Amino acid sequence: MRLIDADIRALVEADRVHRKVYVDEEIFQLEMQRVWKRAWVFVGHESQVKEAGSFISTTIGTEPVVMVRDKSNEIHVIYNRCGHKGAKVTNKPCGKTPMFRCPYHGWSYNLDGTLNVTPHKVGYEDTGFDKSDTRFHMGKVARVENYRGFVFASQIKEGVNLEEFLGDAKATIDNVLDRAPTGQIEIVGQALLYMHDCNWKMFIENLNDGVHPMVTHASVGDACRKLLGQLPEGASPPPEAEIVFPFGSSYEFFDDMGVSVMPYGHSYMGGQSSIHQDYSDVEGYRDKMVARHGEEKTQQVLAQNRHNTTIYPSFTIKDAIQAIRVARPIAVNKTLVETWHFRLIGAPDALLHRTITYSRLINSPASMVGPDDWNCYARMQEALKSSSNDWVDLHRYLGREEIREGDVTRARGTSDLSMRNQYQAWLTYMASGNCDE
Amino acid sequence: MNKQKDNIDLRAVEAFLYDEADYLDSGNLDAWINLYSEDATYWMPVSEDQQDPLGEISILYENRTLMQIRCLNFNHRLAPSFETPVRTSHIIGNVRLLEVESMADFTVRSNFHLVMYFQGEQELFAGTATHHLRFIKHGRRTGFRIYHKRVDLIDCAAPHKSIPIYF
Repeated sequence: MRLIDADIRALVEADRVHRKVYVDEEIFQLEMQRVWKRAWVFVGHESQVKEAGSFISTTIGTEPVVMVRDKSNEIHVIYNRCGHKGAKVTNKPCGKTPMFRCPYHGWSYNLDGTLNVTPHKVGYEDTGFDKSDTRFHMGKVARVENYRGFVFASQIKEGVNLEEFLGDAKATIDNVLDRAPTGQIEIVGQALLYMHDCNWKMFIENLNDGVHPMVTHASVGDACRKLLGQLPEGASPPPEAEIVFPFGSSYEFFDDMGVSVMPYGHSYMGGQSSIHQDYSDVEGYRDKMVARHGEEKTQQVLAQNRHNTTIYPSFTIKDAIQAIRVARPIAVNKTLVETWHFRLIGAPDALLHRTITYSRLINSPASMVGPDDWNCYARMQEALKSSSNDWVDLHRYLGREEIREGDVTRARGTSDLSMRNQYQAWLTYMASGNCDE
Repeated sequence: MNKQKDNIDLRAVEAFLYDEADYLDSGNLDAWINLYSEDATYWMPVSEDQQDPLGEISILYENRTLMQIRCLNFNHRLAPSFETPVRTSHIIGNVRLLEVESMADFTVRSNFHLVMYFQGEQELFAGTATHHLRFIKHGRRTGFRIYHKRVDLIDCAAPHKSIPIYF
């Protein structure tokens, strides 16, 4: 069946979405064409490709791509598909190379994806084969832009530029950079790769869901409390407690954090207060920040506390913890979540160690938090096959206490506003014709 | 060093590793954690050559405090992922002594296959475990203690689903 715009519009209402958006194979394929091709999708950070020839391979939607730095220092995002028979040119997650060479028939490519040479050229003479024709290249993704080191790509030629797309979400990226005493950050180590048995939107929607932690993550809070109860009197709680405990905060705490949404489906929780607000100081860090920014700005920078700035549809970034998580959709019911970690260059190592500890405790497949989210997503993915009820509810705080300030609308933290906002963006991508298919 | 190796009762070391696996497979985490010293660490790196557990991400890196929290969280009635129980079966082999400082302080490496049944699916893990062991003489609690364990999965860098267990 060919879906028309009216079919798609009928899936989203003001207070609910149809279960098909999560379980329907055809909707998923259309999302890959319309959402993941049109939107600016996070590809990687420039520190992953520091030198000429350095590359990472990843995906945009379900398209395999390579992000690579060429000899003139320019970063390219090219499809990881040989211009000849279509083989994936590199299987390495990252590496360094003077050029790409397909292992099947030996076509080789320059670092900008243009065809360098085909073996045994005589066979192509007088056949009309034109080496400069981009169909024979590792094709370039239509648009690539870099916001302060964060590289995004969009697979359509026309559309808003990256900065307009990011809007107020830029302030989260700015804040992460401001938190580095040198103004520079870099990715350290490997990514954690966490395979989820769910639709990509379940992971993205959960990022600003302030009404699940006290239920889904109740056990780990309880385990922490039990352990603290076993400590001898006067013993100080372990430093990990300040990371885990806030996940058991009350509904009122999350309500007061608030949620803020903006155009193109982006959102974040908190701002001034968040589950990261009470972290202890790291010795020597504040002095370095004051040396760079002065007292007043240091205070401003460290007071910004956004929890999970969600840059729809592909990625989320925190500021007080320097980690990002990237959603890579694989199938309608399969999503890879990558977690990457940043060093604030010039900051004490203890700050990086806190980010790493946070991620192990919260984001790792072996953590005591992520697996309970995982389990709930998988339950939805399975039970939404049921035709007993076609709708998924989005009522919380609907139309209540929504305060608009310019492009940003704020609401109570346990509101479903971020999800309602995501589906408005989703509709804009999904129900706007066939212009670029 | 070879002489030192000769003095270590490999059968006793193997029996100790089997006990650890048995405690894990039977869900007896109270007995399991008592095999570890107070200053113990447990590490599961995300890359095969990883050297730094603090400044780079790992699948798991825990001190005794976190191990205690995890034991209290394991099979917790409020954890959605433990609504149905997790079951495991270890096979341990190729047990060999590596560094032997003394008969009371040495490193042993073994290979393992671990089959896990969790959330309705069966999954197979394989890799090596490196145990840093000390022999403690302490009345009734005399025996080996683990003060560091490193678990290297052969697919440590690959995408994983949830891993709710120790190896």
